[in-house]
Amino acid sequence: MSRFRKFVLAQGVAASALLGAFSVQAAPLELAVASSPSGLDPHIVTAFSSFQVIDGTVYEGLTALDENLAIVPGLAAAWEISEDKKTYTFSLREGVTFHSGGVMTSKDVAASLQRVMDEKTGSPLASRLAAVESVETPDPSTVVIRLKAPSAPLLSSLTSIAIVPAKYLGDTESLQRQPDGTGAFRFVDWQPNVAIRLTAHEGYWQTGLPKLEGVTYNIVPEAATRQVGLTSGQYQMLPNIDAVTALQVKAQPGIKLAETLELAYSLVGLNVTRAPLDNPKVREAINYAINRSDLVQAALFGAGVPGGPLSPALEQFATPTSDFACFTPSVDKAKALMEEAGVDTPVELKLLVLPRDDTKALAQVIQQQLAAIGIAVTLDIPEIGKFVQDWRNSDFDMFVSLNSGTIEPDDYFYRTFRSGGSTNVFKYANAELDALLDQGREETDPAGRREIYGKVQGMLACDGPAVFLTYGQLYTAMRDGVDGFTIYPNRSLGALKSVTLGK
Amino acid sequence: MLRLLRGRLVDLGVVLAGVSVLAFAFIRLIPGDAVAIMLGANAEVTPERIAAMRTRLGLDLPIHEQYVTWLSGVLRGDFGVSIWTGKPVIDEIAAHIWPTLQLTVLALAAAVVLAVPLGILMARLRGRRGEAIVQAGSVVGLTVPPFWLGILMILALATFAPSLQLLGYVPFSEDPLGNVSRLLLPAVALSLPITANLARLLRSTLLEAMQQDYIRTARAKGVPARAVLYRHALRNALIPFVTSVGIMAGYLLSGAIVIEQVFAIPGLGRLLLGAIAERNYPLLQATILLVTTAFVLVNFLVDLLYALIDPRIS
Amino acid sequence: MSGGEIAVPPRGGRIRAGLLRRRSGLFVVALALIVLQAFLAVAAPLVAPYDPLFQDILHRMSGPSAAHWFGTDQFGRDVLSRVIYGLRASLAISFAAVFTALVFGGILGLLAAFYRGWIERIIMRGMDVLFAFPVMLLAIGVIAVLGPGGFPTAAAIAVVYTPIFARLLRGPALIIAESDYVMSAKSIGASDIRIIFIHILPNLASVILVQLSLLLSSAILVEASLSFLGLGTQPPTPSLGMMLSEGRNFLFLAPWAALFSGLAILVVAFALNLFGDALRDDLDPRLRKAS
Repeated sequence: MSRFRKFVLAQGVAASALLGAFSVQAAPLELAVASSPSGLDPHIVTAFSSFQVIDGTVYEGLTALDENLAIVPGLAAAWEISEDKKTYTFSLREGVTFHSGGVMTSKDVAASLQRVMDEKTGSPLASRLAAVESVETPDPSTVVIRLKAPSAPLLSSLTSIAIVPAKYLGDTESLQRQPDGTGAFRFVDWQPNVAIRLTAHEGYWQTGLPKLEGVTYNIVPEAATRQVGLTSGQYQMLPNIDAVTALQVKAQPGIKLAETLELAYSLVGLNVTRAPLDNPKVREAINYAINRSDLVQAALFGAGVPGGPLSPALEQFATPTSDFACFTPSVDKAKALMEEAGVDTPVELKLLVLPRDDTKALAQVIQQQLAAIGIAVTLDIPEIGKFVQDWRNSDFDMFVSLNSGTIEPDDYFYRTFRSGGSTNVFKYANAELDALLDQGREETDPAGRREIYGKVQGMLACDGPAVFLTYGQLYTAMRDGVDGFTIYPNRSLGALKSVTLGK
Repeated sequence: MLRLLRGRLVDLGVVLAGVSVLAFAFIRLIPGDAVAIMLGANAEVTPERIAAMRTRLGLDLPIHEQYVTWLSGVLRGDFGVSIWTGKPVIDEIAAHIWPTLQLTVLALAAAVVLAVPLGILMARLRGRRGEAIVQAGSVVGLTVPPFWLGILMILALATFAPSLQLLGYVPFSEDPLGNVSRLLLPAVALSLPITANLARLLRSTLLEAMQQDYIRTARAKGVPARAVLYRHALRNALIPFVTSVGIMAGYLLSGAIVIEQVFAIPGLGRLLLGAIAERNYPLLQATILLVTTAFVLVNFLVDLLYALIDPRIS
Repeated sequence: MSGGEIAVPPRGGRIRAGLLRRRSGLFVVALALIVLQAFLAVAAPLVAPYDPLFQDILHRMSGPSAAHWFGTDQFGRDVLSRVIYGLRASLAISFAAVFTALVFGGILGLLAAFYRGWIERIIMRGMDVLFAFPVMLLAIGVIAVLGPGGFPTAAAIAVVYTPIFARLLRGPALIIAESDYVMSAKSIGASDIRIIFIHILPNLASVILVQLSLLLSSAILVEASLSFLGLGTQPPTPSLGMMLSEGRNFLFLAPWAALFSGLAILVVAFALNLFGDALRDDLDPRLRKAS
């Protein structure tokens, strides 16, 4: 490994290399996760179950996120942005090798971006590269991305675009089963519904990493079984668990928890083409009727916070919820608004529920809260496939679901709330908001962006098409002896590369 | 006998054909555009991608052509490939069938070992004081939900022996001992209802056998009651006992689907529920068809066996 | 394995006498439990101490106490009230399912027995196909088509049990249909329907009653299994299987929800099974001789 020592660049890397000198005995780390990924192609799958297996562990992007969600160099050691903000020049890190062998060059980077943009790939990430006009590779260690128009979110978008060998351009099958990236861990095998095994990538560019011999993701769908497995020492880590599980393992001896406020959030979506939800007053009434603290208590077991349109974790953008009047629950105000809107109560509405334990719990509390203002809610809890279909076809009065959330306001707001946006299932159309969103996309000055997205949040919070509910606390439970782990609000397990496993 | 066999074989063929139609029909009857669902929650599910997937799966053909294509593949041993993993469906099933088979065999073994002494005990208690309690106990065994029992076991384990590694799943090839020890609790939970069932069956057949003329004769000749019970009655009572062990296969499979969920065992139940959730056509069809065919064949053999043993059945 | 082994009593009237004659303590226990459960289910709104849906977030997951005998769940709902309502839902689904199966299976079995020939062949082969599926596999298949919920669960169980009744009733119906007195009814020109309803069905009452109670017992378990897998009754309506399924998520924090709902499933299934069992013992002359 010392072969690569000379390539070490960033000071953070040097620090971890120093730590590496005291490296504890290496052994595979046994994780237990709830669900099996549906595939492992980083450009195709988006589910958490896939993400936490490959993001930052097997795959890396040109840029990366630290645990505070700030953008840091990834496979690009540095970059320059042109005066007109339309040309980004990335200098690639040297000595980066793929798991299948071969050194990463600018050709691989260009092919990876191409692969995401290629319609045949059908990548859900394609929209994040919508501003890209061309990708050039003047030499093996330089990539130039030219944009059609300035795009503030580009660097954050690039964190989510994994770099894969150029040979996979046009191949949408292989990577689903056999990942091949540059990360600290190399894919070994995947026994469906049993386990996914990763092993240390010997040629990893960061010297001294990973410290583990490997990582095994045991797929254990039953919460109680995972918990007993952790206390019995069969598993050493339960990553990204919710408060219920955390509460139950916390009391056990020899277990410690890492926690952070999660980026994902829950929301109630309203179909604004259906009466009475087409009336902004009714939407505001619903906001007033919902008691978010009760939701946090009942559905998140007290571990979470009420949340507005942006995660409080995004400190630079998020407007504090205390600024939104409707976040102080008031049944009286809600009733008054319903009356102003001229709605004959009781009005019957159907709530489509994402079939997860936490969203089912939210739905049941919301049902009770809305009953107080004369909205009789019936719950419709289909299985996941049906949910997705009804959601996509806007075949609902209301839905309650969990959204993964992103670090970039534009990425989320634009496709979700702009008229005609790809995930604007609410059918919401607001010209004023559209103008703001278009503006925010091209504005690159941080202060200007903050102002624009402050206005956007104000417009969405109380009578927008979504009732923003809660942000949960995210936990990772570990046995004593597992050290060096950092929990990420976006559920990435990239920090596994610096984890050590003591006795 | 040959005529009987031929008749049964025809029946078997008809049933299997019917089963194949139903297995084929189930997933196609599911409302909604299954292909759109299959492609997942991504925003970029375009009509073109849906059409491409339809063509790839042959779903754009008329339904009878789909059936013929599928069935002719099946008859050649080609069950298609799983949509997500791209692996042959048959491999996926093979990977998931072992845990279920192991679980089933373990449960059945436990049930047989326990049921024989229990059944004899129950027969001997006939007319004595403990009878009502044993009888009630056997009905409790019959009706206790195995998944609830499993949850109780997990709770007990976590409370009294949190350091015992008895949960989860380890492939046999990696750790044979760990594999079997982790299947013990689910097997016991699963076996209780069949244990009760078999014990009760043994009891009633034993009691019935005791009434037969040859037993009465033996007793009249002065053979002690206990010897009669063990040597004569038991031997005869074992015939229906053995055949009903075969019938338990279907029950065990149904129970295993739920128990696998409680104990996180990667068996057929998990495969099946997963296949429905992701609308994995080829996988679901093949799983239902193969499992049911196996079940039908077991019953068929048991039937034949029964007919061979007991000439009165025709 | 077929209905042929079921003994056919000569006339339906005997069954009541059998019930009264039966002195077994167990039988009385089973009957008492069934009456109690039926009462709880029917009178749920009157006997349940709380609204089963009423949430009291402040008092969630509190253990059994004088105010909440079975404790409270994740939302502070009263587990006892939910068990009572869950019992109601589970019994309703099971009853609906088993009676539907009885009606359809009965019609098919009687048609097969009465008309014989190709009608019988088609019906019975169809029943064979359904019967070939392992119970849960068929039920899951039906629910996959209809979507999860209480009604689909009942429908799934009904489909699964229809062939059982068809097979069960065809055998004895065959024997009766060919018996002298049905033949003589035919000869004096009684209509088919009249023969089936007046002469054949009443003779099968006891067989049906035994099978009903035994299948109800298993239907309770199948319903619980399906709800446990998340395919049955959906929140907020409580059913016993769903409560068990919900309860296992916080098993180590508040085990009572899972404990009591499971116990309730056991007690219902137990009582119905014991009842059916006692009836069968009573009706089966071979076993009676043995006792």
